[in-house]
Amino acid sequence: MNTLSSNRQVITYDDHHVRLFMLASIFWGMIGMIVGALIALQMNFPALNFETSWLTFGRLRPLHTNAVIFALVGNMMFAGIYHSTQRLCKTRMANDWLTRIHFWGWQSVIVLAAVTLPLGLTKSKEYAELIWPIDILVVVVWVIFAINFFWTLAKRNEPTLYVAIWFYIATIVTVAMLYVVNNLAIPTSLTHSYPIFSGVQDALIQWWYGHNAVAFFLTTPILGLMYYYVPKAANRPVYSYRLSIVHFWSLVFIYIWAGPHHLLNTSLPSWLQTLGMIFSLMLWAPSWGGMLNGLLTLRGAWHKLRTDPVLKFFVAGITFYGMATFEGPLLSIRTVNALAHYTDWIIAHVHLGAMGWNGMMAAGLFYFLAPRIWKTKLYSVQLANMHFWIGLFGILLYVSSMWASGITQGLMLNATEEGGTSLVYANFVETLDTIRPLMLTRAFGGILFLTGWLLMIYNLWKTIRGAEPVDGTVEVSVDDRRETVEIEGTISPAGTLFNWPMFYSFWVMLGLSLWFFGGGLIMLSGVMLTAFFSLLSIVHFQASRATWAEWYERLIGNWAPFTVLVFIAVAIGGVIQIIPTLVVQKAKNLEGRVQVPYTPLELAGRDIYIAEGCYTCHSQQIRTLRSDVLRYGDYSRIGESIYDFPFQWGSKRTGPDLSREGGKRPNSWHFDHMEDPLSTSPGSNMPPYPWLLEQDLDFEKMHRRIRVQRMLGVPYPDWSKEEVVALMEEQADEIVADLRSQFRSTEPRRQIVALIAYLQKLGTYETPEEARERIESSGVFDR
Amino acid sequence: MTEPSKRKEPEQPEMRPHVYDGIQEYDNRMPNWWLWTFYLTIIFSAIYWFTRYDAGFIKMEEEKMDAFIAEVEEARLAARGDINADTLWDMSRNEGFVSQGRTVYQNYCMACHGENLEGGIGNNLVDEQWVWGNTPMSIYEVVANGSPDRMSGMQAWMGDLGAQRVNQVVAYILSYHDPESLADASTENDPIAE
Repeated sequence: MNTLSSNRQVITYDDHHVRLFMLASIFWGMIGMIVGALIALQMNFPALNFETSWLTFGRLRPLHTNAVIFALVGNMMFAGIYHSTQRLCKTRMANDWLTRIHFWGWQSVIVLAAVTLPLGLTKSKEYAELIWPIDILVVVVWVIFAINFFWTLAKRNEPTLYVAIWFYIATIVTVAMLYVVNNLAIPTSLTHSYPIFSGVQDALIQWWYGHNAVAFFLTTPILGLMYYYVPKAANRPVYSYRLSIVHFWSLVFIYIWAGPHHLLNTSLPSWLQTLGMIFSLMLWAPSWGGMLNGLLTLRGAWHKLRTDPVLKFFVAGITFYGMATFEGPLLSIRTVNALAHYTDWIIAHVHLGAMGWNGMMAAGLFYFLAPRIWKTKLYSVQLANMHFWIGLFGILLYVSSMWASGITQGLMLNATEEGGTSLVYANFVETLDTIRPLMLTRAFGGILFLTGWLLMIYNLWKTIRGAEPVDGTVEVSVDDRRETVEIEGTISPAGTLFNWPMFYSFWVMLGLSLWFFGGGLIMLSGVMLTAFFSLLSIVHFQASRATWAEWYERLIGNWAPFTVLVFIAVAIGGVIQIIPTLVVQKAKNLEGRVQVPYTPLELAGRDIYIAEGCYTCHSQQIRTLRSDVLRYGDYSRIGESIYDFPFQWGSKRTGPDLSREGGKRPNSWHFDHMEDPLSTSPGSNMPPYPWLLEQDLDFEKMHRRIRVQRMLGVPYPDWSKEEVVALMEEQADEIVADLRSQFRSTEPRRQIVALIAYLQKLGTYETPEEARERIESSGVFDR
Repeated sequence: MTEPSKRKEPEQPEMRPHVYDGIQEYDNRMPNWWLWTFYLTIIFSAIYWFTRYDAGFIKMEEEKMDAFIAEVEEARLAARGDINADTLWDMSRNEGFVSQGRTVYQNYCMACHGENLEGGIGNNLVDEQWVWGNTPMSIYEVVANGSPDRMSGMQAWMGDLGAQRVNQVVAYILSYHDPESLADASTENDPIAE
């Protein structure tokens, strides 16, 4: 930092870490896509797991999703945020050490994930599979990032915060909230833990997290990047500031509520399902607001698309964003979801987002950054164009084949005959046979997309090799800082909460709550309250636009109050949905059916089911749909998964649902099926699991796990370690004896025995009276 | 312009005064179609919620499912009412039933009972040795509701296959037998149903 004169100085930006984050994103992205291509091919050729546990779909699928989300998009987001925030704040990042720790900490998380997930060390909650020690590392790194970021905002030389920064703030605050709550767990060992929520509560919280990981990790930060890099690359002003304001606040407020659309037609209470659906519909316009502001910024610059690959990638990315955010609300409609959920349509949808939106934006960003943070020119515009067209074709092939596959299989699974009382395609494999060519097309599309990425790697390698890294600089004056200091503090802590927008928001939310939860007169007064304050706020706004605009102008000059308001906006949805669910659903007062707790051996089998990632292909939730009931049995009740820590409802049915698998088939069937699925299910694409027949289970570790479950409220008696082992041995011996009588030889301590015990328990429930007796005799709630 | 346009000239949009790192911002009006999309989804949502939970004339999913399950049970009971040993033997001598039954067998049964009914995980069905009874109706019963020793025996198939296909596959099995030899065959347990 050298001083020009007394009141002007030149600041050098830290672009070193931007380069590192960018290279990390490109490298991990490649790994994530290679794993993706492999597991896509395994759908057609299950033998591609080479009978190796750590190459099997159930373990690699989490690696693929985590690599793409947290390694590719994560590092890309950090590269873009560090690069743009410094420039939008006219200051260097607050502390180089924090940046350094952030970078290396994040890469350690990725390496640890890449080692543990294939080893079967997982919590099984989607996009939150990482085991608890890694979770803690993630939180620490995220907090360091947050401190660095907000400290930078505090020392900025720019009076107000640009819209990109708003999106970064929403990302940092919300991801922290979601990640911490969804990963709350009690460890049983260094590598294993049970979540503190179970069954329906766990499902609700998981998808509150899962959906908003999409929102606040894959969407808001990238929208922020769009607001900086699109006008930069096009050299055009942003289309509409007021659209920025409206779509930002409506997006962050509404997104949070939409999580339950992942649980439509399940045993999740109806009111939550409906909130999930309607908030998803209301999310359509706010999402498109972002798309509009991105695309309309290009007015007057469309001709540049012909020559500039960066803009090509950006425009395609934003267009895919628009497609995905139209498809999302569509899929959230209860009846559409009945067809699409658990099928490849959802796979199409997420890849429209991941490849189309994130992948294209990432490529655009890297082609933009490389020649700027290295002092050079892009090696080959032609190669970049080729990347664009190959990638685009790959995405379209991928997405359209998965659309066709999902709709075809969904229709086949739902088809009935004999007056709707019988299934047309009762054998699941028949539906699988139909979509096989489509799955192969998908793999080809994915490989094309990967090929494009490899072209980019080559192109960027040629670009930066031998080029000199260069750090940007800016000249700032004392006046810049003075203006910032003047506006900071113009909103007091009290002023953060007491202002007109907050006043109306409070009354409307109160009205909505009364409407949601009240009956009769309370409900009616809620409706009136909501309508009255909504209308009043509109009238008031129309009358005093200027004052409100002036207030907002001050708000974006006060980073702390702005952050507080963002946090309030994103917290409301979760509070209203989750807290009632936590209070109401306790085992003691469940109606109808209560799950019978697992024996220690069954619980051990369940832990194997989780470690192998069975949930990535098998659901445990029979929806309130005719075809589900015909195919899998009576629909799932809320009490039937009350002791499932974590819940195993699943999100995809590559194979059939297993909710009521228990007692349906002989032990020998399961034994043969795990060793070689084709022997019992001709045509199945499930991989073989021979290691389960060879590897032993540690019976001794179950005592501690049972203790933790007891702590969480599962009505187990206060067993000693010896008692637990004895119970396990007794049950294992029974299963082994039965298998022997069917001419299958195994040992009681083999993993397969525990897994069979678990599978045969699925769907076992008792009456509330029996359950109450069990709870009372266990003494779980005596403390 | 040579001709005066009837359309109002678009106003030059307002530009925000502040510039961030060279980025300027217009303050264009939000597109009306966009605003109305937003308003309509909100209005639809309010109406949807109200009709489902407050107006009370929409049946909840659980209620609909319970009615459906009863309906399926009724249909299956009605179908079962027509079935007895004689009709099953008649079906087993009908080419249509048997060939349909063969398809069902190949799709669902062959994996355990073998290509030629010779057995595997499941029992042999052509060896004149019957575990659960040597009558057409006990065969029907085992196929429809599973074998009594469920954990080591066969699953119930009525749910998966429906009444029609159960008839067909039983007819297919019986097509390998005739009434006299079946009655003479030995059985480990008493027939389940008569």
